[in-house]
Amino acid sequence: MFRFDADKPVHFCDGYTRRDFLHAGTLGLLGFGLNHFLSLKAEGAVPEDNDLNVIQLFLVGGPSQLDTWDMKPEAPLEIRGPYKPIKTNVPGIEISEIFPRMAQHADKYALVRSLYHTAAGVHDIGHQIMQTGRLFQGGVVSPHFGCVLGYKKGGRGAVPPHVLLPRPIGATGGGLPHGQDAGFLGKTFDPFVLNADPSDPGFKVPDLLPPEHLAAIRTDRRRDWRKLVEKSIQELESVPDARLYDSTFHQAYGLMTSARAREAFELSKEPDKVRDSYGRNRFGQSCLLARRLIEAGVRYVTVNMFETVFDEITWDIHGSRPFSPISCYRDLVGPMFDHAFSSLLDDLGQRGMLQKTLVIATGEFGRTPKVNPAGGRDHWPGCWTAIFAGGGIRGGQVVGASDAIGGFPKDRPVSPPEVAATIYHLMGLELETFLPAQLGRIVPLVDGNASPVRELLA
Amino acid sequence: MGMQSCRRQLFSIPAHARGLSLGWSFLSRAVALSLLAGTTAFSQSSAGKTSPTGPKPALQKITVYPSSIVLGSSRASQQLVVEGTYADGYSEDLTAKALMQVESRSTVRIEGDRVLPVASGAGTILASVGALKTSVAVSARDIEQRPEWSFRNHVVPVLTKTGCNMGACHGAAAGKNGFKLTLRGYDPLADYLVLTREAVGRRVTAREPGRSLVLLKPTLLVPHAGGRRFGVDSREYQVISQWIAEGIKPPQDGDRRIEGIRIEPALVKLRPGTRQQLVVTAVFNDGYMEDVTSWVRFESTNAGTASVDDRGLVELKGSGEASITAMFLSKVAVATLVVPFQQQISRDRFEQAPRANYIDKLALAKLEILNLEPSGPCTDGEFIRRAYLDTTGTLPSIDAVKEFLHSGNRDKRQALIERLLASEAYVDYWSYKWADLLLLSDNKATSGNKKLNPAAVRSFYNWIRASVQENKPWDKMVRELLTSTGSSRENGALNFYQIHKDPIRVTENTTVAFMGLRLTCARCHNHPLEKWTQVDYYKMANLFARVRQKAGDTPGEIVVVNAVSGDIDHPRLNKALPPAPLDGEEIALDSPQERRQILANWLTSPQNRSFSRTIVNRVWANFMGRGLADPVDDIRSTNPPSNEPLMNALVEDFVKNGYDLKHLCRVILTSATYQRSWKTTPANVNDDRYFSHYQARRLPAEVILDAVSQVTQVPTDFSGFPKGTRALQLPDTSVDSYFLDAFGRPQRAATCACEREAQPNLRQALHVINGETINQKLSSQDGWIAAALKRNLPNPEVVEALYLASYSRYPTESEHSEAVRSLEAASAGKGPKVRQEALEDFAWAMLTSKEFVFNH
Repeated sequence: MFRFDADKPVHFCDGYTRRDFLHAGTLGLLGFGLNHFLSLKAEGAVPEDNDLNVIQLFLVGGPSQLDTWDMKPEAPLEIRGPYKPIKTNVPGIEISEIFPRMAQHADKYALVRSLYHTAAGVHDIGHQIMQTGRLFQGGVVSPHFGCVLGYKKGGRGAVPPHVLLPRPIGATGGGLPHGQDAGFLGKTFDPFVLNADPSDPGFKVPDLLPPEHLAAIRTDRRRDWRKLVEKSIQELESVPDARLYDSTFHQAYGLMTSARAREAFELSKEPDKVRDSYGRNRFGQSCLLARRLIEAGVRYVTVNMFETVFDEITWDIHGSRPFSPISCYRDLVGPMFDHAFSSLLDDLGQRGMLQKTLVIATGEFGRTPKVNPAGGRDHWPGCWTAIFAGGGIRGGQVVGASDAIGGFPKDRPVSPPEVAATIYHLMGLELETFLPAQLGRIVPLVDGNASPVRELLA
Repeated sequence: MGMQSCRRQLFSIPAHARGLSLGWSFLSRAVALSLLAGTTAFSQSSAGKTSPTGPKPALQKITVYPSSIVLGSSRASQQLVVEGTYADGYSEDLTAKALMQVESRSTVRIEGDRVLPVASGAGTILASVGALKTSVAVSARDIEQRPEWSFRNHVVPVLTKTGCNMGACHGAAAGKNGFKLTLRGYDPLADYLVLTREAVGRRVTAREPGRSLVLLKPTLLVPHAGGRRFGVDSREYQVISQWIAEGIKPPQDGDRRIEGIRIEPALVKLRPGTRQQLVVTAVFNDGYMEDVTSWVRFESTNAGTASVDDRGLVELKGSGEASITAMFLSKVAVATLVVPFQQQISRDRFEQAPRANYIDKLALAKLEILNLEPSGPCTDGEFIRRAYLDTTGTLPSIDAVKEFLHSGNRDKRQALIERLLASEAYVDYWSYKWADLLLLSDNKATSGNKKLNPAAVRSFYNWIRASVQENKPWDKMVRELLTSTGSSRENGALNFYQIHKDPIRVTENTTVAFMGLRLTCARCHNHPLEKWTQVDYYKMANLFARVRQKAGDTPGEIVVVNAVSGDIDHPRLNKALPPAPLDGEEIALDSPQERRQILANWLTSPQNRSFSRTIVNRVWANFMGRGLADPVDDIRSTNPPSNEPLMNALVEDFVKNGYDLKHLCRVILTSATYQRSWKTTPANVNDDRYFSHYQARRLPAEVILDAVSQVTQVPTDFSGFPKGTRALQLPDTSVDSYFLDAFGRPQRAATCACEREAQPNLRQALHVINGETINQKLSSQDGWIAAALKRNLPNPEVVEALYLASYSRYPTESEHSEAVRSLEAASAGKGPKVRQEALEDFAWAMLTSKEFVFNH
């Protein structure tokens, strides 16, 4: 009944309405509640609310502020690097020539050029800080922003509240957690992780679809037979975890059978023109997938631009192997981001989703102002640039400024807890609250009583 | 739906997540323990039928609390409670109905439910309810002297009670808006200086107390981000303003010091729906006493049973047992409120319930007090399945099930227990459990900067395994772990120090792992709620300061030696402190005594109750699904076990038997309490902590995977390990396994039972429905299904075999016929491929059903 491999055209030609009605009927017979399913279908499976959604683009490796969005053309050659600034569509704001398309969208985003953190310049640590708002210390593993949102607000319709694309960040040298799960909130609130490459020709969501050899009729039969053998142990329903176990099956079947939810994962539904505009690569297609997921009701999508910094061309331009040279910004990484980010803003704008979707792009730190002997730049958490666009953000502006060499904030320094406060504030969460941590502690939602960066807010 | 409801559950922060660990007060502890020891008093007094709906039993006596009253200054004001006791053993707060008078109006007077001093002297309060009367002596002292508020004993408690110095406000490490108090007032002198010397003296204005910021802000007379904390007419305002008016006296060395607090009534049986006022009395080192009920922070350990407001008024909301902790200055006291379930249960249900050993006697006593019905015994099928799973993490084979079910031997359960305890699978299972506890892993996150090399993983694992194999006494095992020296190649226990490299890590992990004690707070400041100070912490940590390790000759090998010098400094005092275990004797810094021996002697001493309580609780939780104390690794007097006498008896038995873990397992397995059915009755369905029924729970990740492998007879392929290795035989958790990760295998990064996740989630369900792990095992050509097809096993036999293998029981007649009918309908006359698919699908249904995935 449900063959819907994402890489192939949809197998049924009568649209999904009748099929899903049939399915809703089956589920009803199985005790899953027909009325609920019908009502979900009737409204397109996504309950309406006014909550802001978030797409966080994690620029793994750490982009160099000086070669991207905080150019210092007046600085000496060994500081300013090889690229030239270009004008944007906002007078007075210039960015690197490696982002020609982005330059035409500057009215939509704000650049924070004075972001910094004071912990060690280790990738993993920066990942923690920029996705949870704090460094992991004393056994407290903090939850990702999106997991907190899921914990606070739950899911919408058949889709999970927080999805991570395409895979979690892997090894980046520190061997520490990367801050991409629910931490002390418990695995119940972990993001749903795609674990696949959306740009693969054979792309499909792991475990979202039955394996090839399993005909749809068998999936139905299994469900029926499971119900059959469960008859004798219905008293287990008095155990809360047993009810949760059943409800996870319910959610899984919901995800598998909700046309809206499963179509969100079907990139093949997108016109080639759109797919091309995002870039036919892992990051570009992940950004496109992120837009589809938000459309289907997901609240928070995290996109890792890269999965590691080893043996892969990334933002991590130490200049020598196994890392990347500066030139890769112009040849590969820059254009990849330029296309995907610009298309995402375009696309969200055209669909009227931009004002309801916050888009954030940042790495885990900046890079050393001075070019190193290998012709690259090393880790530098002292100052870098983050991009905020979309819902709740006043675009077309620069917030904060770095010093003459991009080494430290000069005006309006912005700390990671302030970024966290900004995100949580825009999500509509009360900042002065606590989260229940393990080891018998409670942890404030944001550290140090941080306030949102008011200048960013529309 | 599921995710939503679960979210809501977690939203209310559970007691263990809310409160920090607490210290204890010797006073209240002594009172509570002596009363709890006599719990049979309840059952004696309720020897008749419990009849919640019948006429109210007669009131037998009344008691006034506090039991002794001293009014120590003209400002003293003592809250009184008149408690009635009924013929059925229940108590009730009758203060509102009581008539209270004093004999001599010249010394004290009554105002509402309080007694106030008039002049120094002795007096007597007479209380009566109906015809019942009682009296309590009261003495008033120093009434003629000019009273003074003490910064240490009055102002700081006010700041604590009103939340000014809590972690979210000015007690934060960085303070709040430039005003920083010590967390919950642990350093009164520092607080005094901050209040009086900073902010150009505006916080406290001697000449005009009312203009002090410390009064203007919390009353919102000027804007205050923290909102209104108290009013101008409040007692809080009065204390602070009068203290200012009295000359802003600083805390002094000569101040009287708190010795303990007493909470009354400390142990009572109450009816749901009633209210009970508690009275808390502080006792100081000079004998002075004071009613501090208004200044205490109260907390309920079981909010579903009892909630408490900030004046100590308890509302009994539901049935069960609740401990109310009261915290004042550094002291803690606990009151235990028992609210029996209001239901008709025949006494026979308790009297005739089977009793195999002391566990049953004590567990049933608790159930009888709470009026919770014990479930009946489990079936043989349920017993063999759960005993295998809980003792060895494996399922019984079909043959083992059949033999057990058919055996007429009356002692067959006992014989099975002995067989399981002697099995190799027992060694696998418990080695895995202790490897979890000891964080055996080559994850970098667990071992700082350096990976535990594979050879080191192996040698540590081998040591654990050998210890389990020989049933090494727990105290001996821990002692070896902590005190060894030499090469890790010869003694794998030494790898403990490779995982925990510095004194800080060893100290914190040792206390959590073996004493259920979380010391981490005291690393940076005095423990805010426990009695442990930062000084205690660094004295303790210094016991580990002379462990030296160097690389051995082979990769991953370390050599551990005891250095003759070297200390860890207290970071604020910038000096080393004489090493001492918590509450133990200290030794001189230059003492030649081996420091780790001192630590191990203290830790494993029978006098160290937390040591034996922690391991007993861990083993109990393994079999019973929940610790007597919960969370399982949080052992402290303010997190009391759900059955204190039972905990004490288990500990005593364990220590008496030489810390013998197998003995402990045997006692638990043998008990009728363990062998109760998981099926609840209407009269115990709400019990989740008193063990009136076996607690059904999802199996651990590794056990589910191994069980699926066992039923399908297709082992899991773990890269780098021989074919047939089970998940529970893996030495560490670094082997890639999507299934194990999805089902909540711990990372072994932090010593915390919370690392292992036992909750179902969406990822698990999707993986089970569509993922490869189970599907590949079902369709494997080398598995049981393929073999059944090859042998052309008829459907009735297939169904029976699957039930025996998965559920350890025969299918019922209707299950059998329905299953066979379904299989026939799906495959009859349709060729081998169709039949294979039908068998796979039926097996899938069984392997993903709750009866399989849940231990019951």
